[in-house]
Amino acid sequence: MLLEIEDLGKTYGAVSALSGVSLAMDEGEVVGVCGDNGAGKSTLMRIVAGAQPPSRGAVRLRGKPVRFTGPRDALTAGIAAIYQDLALAVDQSVYQNVFMGSELVRRSWVPGLRTLDKRAMRERSREYLARLGIELESVDAPVNRLSGGQRQAVAISRALRWEAALVIMDEPTAALGVREKARVLDLVRKLKETGVSVLLVSHNMDDVVAVTDRVVILRGGRLQGEVATADIDADRLSHMVMSGRMQ
Amino acid sequence: MQDLLKRFGTVIAYLVLFTVLAASADNFLDPYNLLSILKHVSFLTIIALGFTLALAAGELDLSIAHVASLSSVCAAALLFNDYPIVFAMLAGIGCGTALGLFNGLVVTRMRIPSLIATLAVSTIANGLAYLITGGVAYVGRLDTAFLVFGRGNVLGVPAMILWMGLTVALTLFLLKRTRTGVHLVCTGEAEEPARLAGIRTRRMKLLGLGLSGLLAGVTGVLLTSSLSSSSPAIAGEYLMTGIAAVLLGMTTIEPGKPNVVGTLIGALTIGTLRNGLTLLGAQYYVQDIVLGVIIIVSVSASARELRKVAFSVPH
Ligand SMILES: Nc1ncnc2c1ncn2[C@@H]1O[C@H](COP(=O)(O)OP(=O)(O)OP(=O)(O)O)[C@@H](O)[C@H]1O
Ligand SMILES: [Mg+2]
Repeated sequence: MLLEIEDLGKTYGAVSALSGVSLAMDEGEVVGVCGDNGAGKSTLMRIVAGAQPPSRGAVRLRGKPVRFTGPRDALTAGIAAIYQDLALAVDQSVYQNVFMGSELVRRSWVPGLRTLDKRAMRERSREYLARLGIELESVDAPVNRLSGGQRQAVAISRALRWEAALVIMDEPTAALGVREKARVLDLVRKLKETGVSVLLVSHNMDDVVAVTDRVVILRGGRLQGEVATADIDADRLSHMVMSGRMQ
Repeated sequence: MQDLLKRFGTVIAYLVLFTVLAASADNFLDPYNLLSILKHVSFLTIIALGFTLALAAGELDLSIAHVASLSSVCAAALLFNDYPIVFAMLAGIGCGTALGLFNGLVVTRMRIPSLIATLAVSTIANGLAYLITGGVAYVGRLDTAFLVFGRGNVLGVPAMILWMGLTVALTLFLLKRTRTGVHLVCTGEAEEPARLAGIRTRRMKLLGLGLSGLLAGVTGVLLTSSLSSSSPAIAGEYLMTGIAAVLLGMTTIEPGKPNVVGTLIGALTIGTLRNGLTLLGAQYYVQDIVLGVIIIVSVSASARELRKVAFSVPH
């Protein structure tokens, strides 16, 4: 197993955002997470990504218990995430955002000192964005000049950049056009082919049904159930999410 | 065009100021006067670059002046007691760095906003300086080998200007060419996104405040050398002038962001203005009034960023 989550819980003061959630994921597996607003989906993914500590429970990565002290720990352990609010530095350029936290460096004339390789970062940013079907005039433009979909592509590129074993996506296609959305779904399939696992949080049942192997449904912070994607269609899935019944 | 004006408006204003002073103040263009402006600007730039680095990491450092004074007193006390010059200088700089790191720890570990934390540390530094001197100033009697650092020349260029140039070059290099510098700036501009992207934001804040303390220490030691004296109030004026230089700098080059070249231009403007006002016979309090106005006007140009910094609670 790549990832095992056991009895995970999170409380904010008196509010219980997540409780008793257990989940296991294999390498190359694509798992969907569905649920209404406030069901605890983002809370779950943020804990796995190291953005928040859990109040209770354990996370194991390849059988070893992990306790992330922050996102950096998760990233270096091979877990990258795309956050629902994208988490971009909007005053900074596209390429700086794509490489934020993992900037490319090269040797400089001072021995032992590495300096930023801006040219390589610009070039590779363009490549990452092109994979998502996004062509920008300049990757030097600040992110606040981009459209919502373009921003989403920047956030996705950043996650790809880490070449993680598990990519967590929180509503990655929410702002995307039809063509760009298809690219992202394609990308999920490609990640799967190369053995990368994907945890896909989404309100879009069609997307979830199109690319996942399994779907877990959260409701009020609890795990309502789990179905194999092969057994359902989008209508059944949204019915399950709304009714909370797994039949 | 409008973009250019936005970026270089302050530079143009400086050139206008320079021209007006050249035309109206008698000795303004005298090489000695210009050199004395540059020397004063050197201290101001070095200490203000420290403030710039802290602000780049999203924190205010209101302790720069008292920390610089304490570093000065520290070095002077050791020199007066015949400790080796290098040891005294390193102790002075080390003292500033230690207080800067202390600022950083208070902000990142105890989660006290830097506005409050550095004000408190500033008061402590001031108290320590008086404790060391016992209230008296150290004047004269300093080894000439120590005085060259602040007063010497290299190939006709005053050492102070070289120190300033070196500091500008190093901070510029840090922020523009290194991964650490980029992480520092990301931390200040978008703390939560930076953290989520894997940047160790607390460490960056510690670094920003630590470097601010270090540069305050350097300023204090160089002031001691240049003035051949020390007192707990030696760097007092640099709090307001330093802040004004940085805020003025934020209106130019990279508008809205604390930036190295902007700070240099800000320091030049304030140094020139002070000198000009003095030459024109203005009283010192006029200078203070002008300084206050500069701060308000500059901040109104970049208020959004500053509000974010000044009143945020560290994570
Ligand atoms: N920082 C916080 N402080 C207090 N409560 C919070 C906090 N973050 C989330 N919650 C609560 O936890 C619960 C789960 O929130 P979460 O963001 O995980 O839901 P979600 O399933 O991602 O919803 P959505 O579909 O709207 O994105 C909600 O009731 C929310 O109000
Ligand atoms: Mg959510």
